[in-house]
Amino acid sequence: MVAASKKPIWITLGVVLALQTLLISYQANNRTDTTFMRVWLLGSLAPAEKLVDLTLYGIVHVWESYFALVGAHDENQKLKSEMRQLQMQLSRQHEEILEARRLRAMLSVPDSGIGKTVVARVIASDPSRSSQTITIDKGRSHGVQTDSAVITPAGVVGRVIYASNFFSIVQLILDSQSAVGVMVSSTRQQGIVTGTASRELQLDYIEDDNELKEGDEFITSGMDRVYPKGLPVGVITSVGERRGLVKVVSIRPKADFGRLEEVICILERPEAADIPGFIEDQPQQE
Amino acid sequence: MEIPRVNTLGIIGRFAIAMAAVVVIQGILAFKFRVFSYFDLPLIYSVYYGFVLGNPIASILIGSGLGLMQDSLSGALLGFNGLSKTLIGFLAASAGTKFNVDQAITRGVALFLFSIGDGLLVSILGLTAGSATSTAYGVVLGGWTLSAAFNTLLGLALFGYYDRFGNATT
Repeated sequence: MVAASKKPIWITLGVVLALQTLLISYQANNRTDTTFMRVWLLGSLAPAEKLVDLTLYGIVHVWESYFALVGAHDENQKLKSEMRQLQMQLSRQHEEILEARRLRAMLSVPDSGIGKTVVARVIASDPSRSSQTITIDKGRSHGVQTDSAVITPAGVVGRVIYASNFFSIVQLILDSQSAVGVMVSSTRQQGIVTGTASRELQLDYIEDDNELKEGDEFITSGMDRVYPKGLPVGVITSVGERRGLVKVVSIRPKADFGRLEEVICILERPEAADIPGFIEDQPQQE
Repeated sequence: MEIPRVNTLGIIGRFAIAMAAVVVIQGILAFKFRVFSYFDLPLIYSVYYGFVLGNPIASILIGSGLGLMQDSLSGALLGFNGLSKTLIGFLAASAGTKFNVDQAITRGVALFLFSIGDGLLVSILGLTAGSATSTAYGVVLGGWTLSAAFNTLLGLALFGYYDRFGNATT
């Protein structure tokens, strides 16, 4: 009996490995745009994710609507009371906003609003452990583009790295490849915060780290042209010894990444010229 | 006697749907339950198909497909997991012809080693392509070991289940 030749196996292995290596090499060198391939794969697989997510959501919704109503009356009364308090607070803040607008108009400072937004539902996260990303159910047809900023009311979540027609992949600020232009909200010192592939962020660069202390808050500086200025990023949890140019500073993100369900996509990207009050906000040198 | 006609397209379709389902389920479970990010269902299925089919060419293509699908739903460069799962599919199919992969101990050791190898290869590719993580080596190694242990346990449970109730494409 003649043994089966192993040649076709080695040829197949060699061809597949060579193709994948070329694919990685082209992407790493930015020599070829592979976006179309990724967008096609995303557009093919994400609808299945959405379908499973909707099914799970439906099951949970039915359970919560019909079987988990024990104590709903008491909770309803408590929520009504909270709502009345919040309405009062909201009306006070509305007055403050109107006042701020009047003052801005008087001082000719442009409005620092975040512009057009769209709310998206998170349907899945990275199926591999090689990056920190999530999939959302809004894409190019909703106005989402590559580099659209993604936030929650609590703080910055990340930016869109790939957008198909109806779905997008968002790189979280926790990802080790992520960097956000920030400033300390109290001293207005500018810096860069990067992800660590864990639940914390770290300070990569700042003009002067001597004044940094636990509890200091970082907000976006707008200088990366991805995130509008003034969005909460995180709070310093520890300031360690100097390593290289800056001290080792750990930052807890403001957004709760363990409970991301809905996020807000900012559809208008801030341009350098549109970043309001950047020059005005610089601390005066004595 | 008439030989039954094999519907090649049907078989490929079933494999493609099963592969897409594996990647989609991995993404959703990792989002709903944080602990699931330590599991790697595409890796487990690459090894499973390699063992069960015993056909290196089919295993190479299945591993490659699973890995590329995994990459397309993540932020990694296309091909990181594709290349890694291609090799794992091939090695699993080769191991299936040389060792007795019906024994739990052989399967467990293979799953553990393939998981560690997958983490190592993806990290090396990340370093080479300039997109590696800046996490300390101790943390990375801990993550690989935990992931390998989880994959081994889940893999053994799933292999046992499919041996009893399933077949290669379901």
